[in-house]
Amino acid sequence: MKLRETIIQALSSLSVNRLRSLLTIMGVAVGVFSIIGVMTALDAVDKSVETGLTSLGANTFQIQKFPATVFGSGHSRNFYANRKDITYQQALLFRKSIEKSARTIGFIITSMGNRAKYAGIDTNPDVTLTGGDENFSAANGYNVSAGRNLSESDIRYARNAALIGSELKETLFPGGENPVDKSIKVNGEVYTVIGVFEKKGAAFGQSQDNFLLIPITRYLDHVNEKSSIAITVEALSRKDYPQALDRAIGAMRIVRGLGVKDPNDFEIRTNESLIDSFKDIKSAISSGAFIISFMSLLTAGVGIMNIMLVSVTERTREIGIRKSVGAPRRSILRQFLLEALFLSLVGGFIGIFVGITAGNIVALKFNLPPIFPWLWIAVSMIVCSGIGMAFGIFPAWKAANLDPVEALRPK
Amino acid sequence: MQEPPVIIMKELCKFYEMGDQVVRALDSINLDFRKNDYAAIMGPSGSGKSTLMNIIGCLDTPTSGIYELNGQNVAEMNDDELALARNREIGFVFQTFNLLPRLNCLRNVELPLIYAGVPPEERNERAAEALRKVGLGDRMTHKPSELSGGQIQRVAIARALINKPSIILADEPTGNLDTATSHDIMNIFGTLSEVGNTIILITHEEDIARYTKRIIRLRDGKIESDSRK
Repeated sequence: MKLRETIIQALSSLSVNRLRSLLTIMGVAVGVFSIIGVMTALDAVDKSVETGLTSLGANTFQIQKFPATVFGSGHSRNFYANRKDITYQQALLFRKSIEKSARTIGFIITSMGNRAKYAGIDTNPDVTLTGGDENFSAANGYNVSAGRNLSESDIRYARNAALIGSELKETLFPGGENPVDKSIKVNGEVYTVIGVFEKKGAAFGQSQDNFLLIPITRYLDHVNEKSSIAITVEALSRKDYPQALDRAIGAMRIVRGLGVKDPNDFEIRTNESLIDSFKDIKSAISSGAFIISFMSLLTAGVGIMNIMLVSVTERTREIGIRKSVGAPRRSILRQFLLEALFLSLVGGFIGIFVGITAGNIVALKFNLPPIFPWLWIAVSMIVCSGIGMAFGIFPAWKAANLDPVEALRPK
Repeated sequence: MQEPPVIIMKELCKFYEMGDQVVRALDSINLDFRKNDYAAIMGPSGSGKSTLMNIIGCLDTPTSGIYELNGQNVAEMNDDELALARNREIGFVFQTFNLLPRLNCLRNVELPLIYAGVPPEERNERAAEALRKVGLGDRMTHKPSELSGGQIQRVAIARALINKPSIILADEPTGNLDTATSHDIMNIFGTLSEVGNTIILITHEEDIARYTKRIIRLRDGKIESDSRK
């Protein structure tokens, strides 16, 4: 019998029990949805990682107390927390010792969740307060769009000067008012706005423009003196980058007073290390999603097998009739196998469609272009076919091997 | 010279094991059917009628002995060869009709042709032709549930005829029909016999057997009598 006939036959059989077929299909759809949804979302985020994580300028690395991401239990979190803070004095010493091998060396401290006020407007407590120096903007890829950057003397005299991010500007000065030389209040401290940064956009759905930058010396004097400083180092050139990295590590070890055998008690963040650590997260999430999806697909496969066994029992007489008019075993086998395959593949298609939609909704939230994870679509289709075959073969085999005399016997 | 018989059975036995007992459903049957035979196999229930029909119809194989159908030894066939033999050589008519309820008459009748690999257009034509032959030219798109018992049995006869089988095998074809309809159906078989078909009926009704030209009586798995008109 031709394949086309078998397909028509399988479809018409399935359409008899629409609800039952649909419910079985849903099982597969959920499994495929979970993997495709997660993978689409991950791929979407991945696309933004290069731009989002290369927030550091070119040839730049950062030294700080914590690594970019801390994985695992509270134990490893405590391990990093128990390190000594990088103090301003250490930072200054460090700068002095590698001044010649770097183009710029910048210091940063940040605290999140602050509230800024101007002329009766009060922001949500979600403003980032950054203490930095004149090198901050270059090292972090910000451009000053109005006013001026921090100057060396601002730092030296710990002036109450501030540059504000574009989003904070919009919130505090909604009418297009020029913020320069205006006084804003953050956590009770008054700052004079000396400049505004250009919009940088969001990374990971988080705005990078809702912040203000004040001199780090001011931060240490008036905001929090016990903060660990992050040091950004820009190498002289691409070629000098590895050497600068080595020198910086050596200098930092001396500044921190480490013995020869002591491990580093600070972390180096490079654009690459950030991307690497994101890849770690990504692979953990994707293998988790894969395992969960595979389990749910197995469950769906058992559902298919179950429903196909019921179907074989219900259609014993039909099988008997088909056999009596000359249907060979392979033809019956193919008919039932195709039904199982159809259930799982349609489930797969639905899962892929819904998964891509959901994943791209996530992508949309991150302001990312739409994504089609072709690899995972292919994997899902192959896995679905495999599930359909694996769980359909036994019921189909059972149907094909029914004894026609028994099958035709009136019940 | 006379043609060789369509069916030759020699010392054909079928035994079933029921627990520690062996039931001799068919015991040393020797029987021939020639082309154009119109025979009734009769006997009380348990006489082995159904078993004999299953073996003639290639639904089952004998325990021992020879069953030759058009020169092929059916006893040595595997499942797929039996399926092929059913498709090519046998047309079944059952007491319970055995049509597929979801398919209309045309689709039911063409079913054997699907497994014979006949292309759709030709199938359609031949099925329509077979339905016209049994007087159902105007019921082709009806489903079995929309027809009377007599009409359903005529659809089943059309299906049995479609692949031009060597034998039409009818198992109590009038068992579920009233007397008048039974008469109609038997007339159809009579006509089919006159145009050269080989027909074997299984029945326990003398009235029905009387329509045929040869009556074979079974008792306890053995042939009691075999008489031609």
